[in-house]
Amino acid sequence: MEVRTAASAALIPTIRAVASDLAARADFDLDAISDLRMAVDEACATLVDLAAPASTLTCIFRVQAERIEVSAQVQAAESGTTVSTDTFGWRVLQTLADHVEAQHSVNGGVPVVGIQLDKRAGDLPR
Amino acid sequence: MTSSDEEYGHLAPLLEQYASLDEDDPAREALREQLVTGYLPVAEHIARRFANRGEPLDDLVQVATVGLIHAIDRYSPDRGTDFFSFAVPTISGEVRRHFRDLGWSMRVPRRLKDLHVAINSAVAQLAQDLGRAPKPSEIAQHLDVPLADVLEGLEASEAYRSSSLDEMLSSEQGSATLGELVGEADAALDRVEFRQTLRPLLGELAERERLIVMLRFFGNMTQTQIAEKVGISQMHVSRLLAQTLERLRDRLDPETRDG
Repeated sequence: MEVRTAASAALIPTIRAVASDLAARADFDLDAISDLRMAVDEACATLVDLAAPASTLTCIFRVQAERIEVSAQVQAAESGTTVSTDTFGWRVLQTLADHVEAQHSVNGGVPVVGIQLDKRAGDLPR
Repeated sequence: MTSSDEEYGHLAPLLEQYASLDEDDPAREALREQLVTGYLPVAEHIARRFANRGEPLDDLVQVATVGLIHAIDRYSPDRGTDFFSFAVPTISGEVRRHFRDLGWSMRVPRRLKDLHVAINSAVAQLAQDLGRAPKPSEIAQHLDVPLADVLEGLEASEAYRSSSLDEMLSSEQGSATLGELVGEADAALDRVEFRQTLRPLLGELAERERLIVMLRFFGNMTQTQIAEKVGISQMHVSRLLAQTLERLRDRLDPETRDG
């Protein structure tokens, strides 16, 4: 499933609502639903900050057995832009998601930055 | 309380009489009315204590009166407690519940509110039984309601924000202080390289919000574990965490954007 919106902070609540709804329907436990929701929020907020004016935020959700993969991307404002991984926001993503990765590439001459994250349906009981 | 003895002393025998009558005794109705009218100043007094919190006093008096009626109906003199020590918590409980219902930032149907309450207590119960947060399917099974209703109820929970009174009550409940709980997490914070920018911001947070953020992101605890430790519900932890992250992000952004 793919959601595409203007890269604007005002639309992030819609995307995170999609994320939490997908997770609830995939029967994730409540902690995992809430974690995914916050992680998507954090990832999108990070990307919107790096996005070129009037660009598009694309979020792809892949619901697998027992986990959801999220891949979010925007066109970057300038070439060489990367998602910085020494911030509190990145720490938050690492804690909330089971796996998180920053990506950057050039697509048809346009710099693209993205964040990919994986969330499992539930934590193992500790 | 001598003043209350003077004012309400004549009502005590009536209370005993009321409690001793059978539920379908025709005399009950009149007696009940007499009692409610007689004790009404107590309800009004309690309602006034909750005034100035954005709710019209008339509404509060009405809610408190409902609490008073409950108290009169449920009081049994043979338990040896006097009426006031039973009635006062019952009435204030009713007023508090009223504020809790007001904690919804969006108009939500009564059915969903009740479902929210049911889900919340099911979550607490299941979390304890399972040792982890429950899944929607497990909540549905526990409550014996359709899964679709649980999903709807969880969605409705997003429209809930805790009223200030609620915050007050839950911090009363969580008696543990930050210092008592944080210990280990504090050491983890020291190893974080960006602590220079983060620490002052964490310092600005309310104690409980700070504790929750620390336990989640530096103590690596799940929301359910934090809920148990802090003494609030998992949903409340989830809400506080999301709010706090948003606030921190707003504050941190200017410094990290260039980096």
